[in-house]
Amino acid sequence: MSAWRQAGLSYINYSNIAAKVLRRSLKPEFRADALKRDESHVRITPWANGRPARKYISGFLLT
Amino acid sequence: MLGRLAPGVCTQVTMVVNNQQTRNMATLKAISIRLKSVKNIQKITQSMKMVSAAKYTRAERDLKAARPYGEGAVLFYERAEVAQPEDEPKQLYIAMTSDRGLCGAVHTGVSKVIRNRLNEPGAENIKVICVGDKSRGILQRLYGKHIISVANEIGRLPPTFLDAARLADAVLSSGYDFGSGKIIFNKFKSVVSYAQADLPLFSRKAVEAAPKLAVYDSLDSDVLQSYMEFSLASMLFYALKEGACSEQSSRMTAMDNASKNAGEMIEKLTLTFNRTRQAVITRELIEIISGAAALE
Repeated sequence: MSAWRQAGLSYINYSNIAAKVLRRSLKPEFRADALKRDESHVRITPWANGRPARKYISGFLLT
Repeated sequence: MLGRLAPGVCTQVTMVVNNQQTRNMATLKAISIRLKSVKNIQKITQSMKMVSAAKYTRAERDLKAARPYGEGAVLFYERAEVAQPEDEPKQLYIAMTSDRGLCGAVHTGVSKVIRNRLNEPGAENIKVICVGDKSRGILQRLYGKHIISVANEIGRLPPTFLDAARLADAVLSSGYDFGSGKIIFNKFKSVVSYAQADLPLFSRKAVEAAPKLAVYDSLDSDVLQSYMEFSLASMLFYALKEGACSEQSSRMTAMDNASKNAGEMIEKLTLTFNRTRQAVITRELIEIISGAAALE
């Protein structure tokens, strides 16, 4: 088992963190464009019994 | 008594005349107000069309790049012949819509597919994740109990892979153990047409039980788990892109039609406006002339 999975990350989290690091280490002329892909505005609210259950999950590892 | 009554009648008559006069003037004014508001609406719909046309070209370009993600993921399930597990009736449906309206039947189409499925037998094993406020708004009232998650803030900006990744993360961490499922989205065909389509979702168990999984080399359960997670994210990404593209193209057509209709309305209103104005002028002329004739 890989170290990141042992740490409780899913592949999505793992690859996103890797992508984030890669984007930040790009040369400045490419970085500006790449950083635009590094944004996410989706708000996810869990529901139960036809109404919102909690406020919303913030993707703690992804943002 | 007559003397007492007469002034009353008189005032009534003048009031009627006055009323008519004011009503005519008012209709003229009302028509011009309406004309102005329709013209404003046309301006708005026209600019909305321009905006969505610009967004559409971008969405289509993005979609071309995103297509391999979805097609690749689906091909894996097809080649491995993954089937819906018999012993696990739990299903998950993901409705891909957005927050914004004024775009034809894009959102109702997706919601209708889910609604029809929820009306069939076995619906108690189905849970729904609504992506976008529109599908939530449609499904909430009657099928609120099936909804386990809602995602909003979709559609303001073009979807990114990070959006899809966060959605996939929410699906995986929702604690709902589905055996299979579907992502329902609008598949973009051309500028004027789109259709509802679906992408399959399977649990890891279902994939491990697939008869032809052996065509893929060196698959251990760790790799498979990672791949399943990634393929969920990429399918969601693809569905988001398809949805965004269909939405923009549909909004373009809808706004084009709205502008056309507003144009027709403007024509009709201008005609009535001119006619009424003419009538008012004619009546005033008659009044003046007959007044002058009475003085002679």
